[in-house]
Amino acid sequence: MDRRLFLKCLGCSGAAAAAAHTYLWPEFLGGIQNAWAFGDDAKLSQVEARYYKKLDEGGIECELCPRHCRITDLERGYCGVRENRGDVYHTLVYGRPCSINIDPIEKKPLNHFYPGTTAFSLATAGCNVNCKFCQNWEISQARPEQIDNVELSPQGVIDICKERGVPTIAYTYSEPVIFYEYMYDIAALGHRNSIRSVMITGGYIEPKPLNDIFPHLDAIKVDLKSFREDYYHTIVNGELKPVLEALVQIKKAGVWLEIVYLVVPTLNDSDAEFTDLARWIKAELGVDTPVHFSRFHPQYLLRHLPSTPVTTLERAWEICRAEGLQFVYLGNVPGHAAESTYCPQCGEVLIERRGYRVTLRALKGNRCGHCNHILPGLF
Amino acid sequence: MSRVVVVKHEGALRGESISVAGYTAMLYEALTALTGETTEAASLHKLLPRGAVGMKTNCLTGKQNSTPAPLVEALAGVLEAAGWKPTEIVVWDRTNRELQTAGFKLSAGGFGRRCMGTDTNGVGYGSEFHSFGESSSLVSRILEEVVTANINMPVLKDHSIAGLSGGLKNMFGAINNPNKFHNHNCDPHVAEVSMMDPIRSRNRLTIMDAVQVQYHNGPGFDRRYLVRYGSVILSDDPVAADRVGLEVIGRLRERNGLPSLEKAGRPAKYLQTAAGLGLGQAELSVLEVKVLVMDDKGHVRAGELL
Repeated sequence: MDRRLFLKCLGCSGAAAAAAHTYLWPEFLGGIQNAWAFGDDAKLSQVEARYYKKLDEGGIECELCPRHCRITDLERGYCGVRENRGDVYHTLVYGRPCSINIDPIEKKPLNHFYPGTTAFSLATAGCNVNCKFCQNWEISQARPEQIDNVELSPQGVIDICKERGVPTIAYTYSEPVIFYEYMYDIAALGHRNSIRSVMITGGYIEPKPLNDIFPHLDAIKVDLKSFREDYYHTIVNGELKPVLEALVQIKKAGVWLEIVYLVVPTLNDSDAEFTDLARWIKAELGVDTPVHFSRFHPQYLLRHLPSTPVTTLERAWEICRAEGLQFVYLGNVPGHAAESTYCPQCGEVLIERRGYRVTLRALKGNRCGHCNHILPGLF
Repeated sequence: MSRVVVVKHEGALRGESISVAGYTAMLYEALTALTGETTEAASLHKLLPRGAVGMKTNCLTGKQNSTPAPLVEALAGVLEAAGWKPTEIVVWDRTNRELQTAGFKLSAGGFGRRCMGTDTNGVGYGSEFHSFGESSSLVSRILEEVVTANINMPVLKDHSIAGLSGGLKNMFGAINNPNKFHNHNCDPHVAEVSMMDPIRSRNRLTIMDAVQVQYHNGPGFDRRYLVRYGSVILSDDPVAADRVGLEVIGRLRERNGLPSLEKAGRPAKYLQTAAGLGLGQAELSVLEVKVLVMDDKGHVRAGELL
């Protein structure tokens, strides 16, 4: 697809215009379709990856995420998008997004980050975990040659943001850790062009690459999928401990942080787990860290479970508020009162939300217009 | 008792390449020895149901050490001689590029044999996940919808994580997400993938290329650890075929001064898992292993595994 056509597609909204591009940009059309259509191998990038070491006995060890995959020639890491070719590790997805969209920032969700603005959102194929509830599994669990990609350089992303007046870029949908090099280069270039970057991640990343990208990011949203190690092992295919360490590292670095917790019925919805979670956040990250409890809907490998009852989400909300957390939100429940932001000092509505419709109420700059309390975040 | 037949080609042991005719002769000996039938046609009818037959190759290393095109050609010829129509013969792997690089000519339609990757336009993976134990995958539509039986045609080699790359491991090339299944020496995933319904129900025969065997640093190609073994290994028990292959790899490693796979930290423990799941027999002592050596004139005598 040439760039002119691509830009035209990005701006289109009519069904007739959209239909021609269903194949390439299903997310833009409101749902992933035909995701198992194939591209071809020529569409894969061959850019040398960062964060790996060559092993004395042959092969390489990836040092990007805590898995530390050891990979011999022609094999790929767990993510499926990084391949050893002659003991040089390559990313196959640099400049090859499979999903792009212009989203409300609230969709990430980031509630304390320039509310009401938009984010140019992009993803490549691949992920370094395999959550049984993944809503984007068609791309996150795919290898890049199994889905359609387009070529889009970091400069191309910046050009689109400028032309469309989009102030922020979001690395999202799949897992940006696995397209780290692409994300890093876009974010660095974005800052040089006064365009912000936010990383929407599971936080399963090694400290060094995380630290290295901090200067180029403006906010990070971490999906903390549970507060139990066994859940991470059985449902996520990952580990909890490195994610908690990454959360603390982000907070210490001063990058704006929000947390999402997807509540899955019967699996991570006990009072005890909510309580442990709230106490840990209070102790390690602070009571002003926003936490979003998001509603699960049957997906992927957990289709046998029901959607999360709203009462369960409200119970999580009540427990966290009782433990002292100041900004607790409910997600995937459009119209619920807990979508909005309230002043923790006087209770005034600062930002009203109904789905992705945002209205600034008592917020004046970054303060409550009623009691002058400072609202944490970037406004 | 599961039977495994190893047919060695003396010329190949000396380093000669094997022609289509040479492979055809080897297949005749192997198939009749495996089934006890008098002809290869009768053997194939005993082993396979009627309908389209898949031949799942392993083309990871391109021309260097993939399933030999002459072996596939020979088997296709034997199938046709036994009554299968050309259009009922489907040579396949995960991608067209890998097949082409390994020397196969693609043909997804027409009136002749089929040769295609799962990535052929309009093919792809099925829409329903198949789950077994800890493993869930989409399976190639070639296996799900195109063929009624599959002949697994792997290449015997070492695998840096799984220990052994043989027939069971070759089925990672039939699913959408093999990269998710390499932890814990690929155990239990290799066994579980082969238990997924479309794979277990279609796989009827393993014909493993062992003409040149890479006993270390696989599955990528590494000439330093390549030896001529000059053989094809057949069995209708997928675990047994792999178990014999594992024995060959183990002895070659010992002969060349390398530690055992267990000491190297990558035992092929998925074979025991597969046996435990009822896929086949993994105990060498209970297998009937017939080793045949074919000389330059086509005469056959009994031989040793190594």
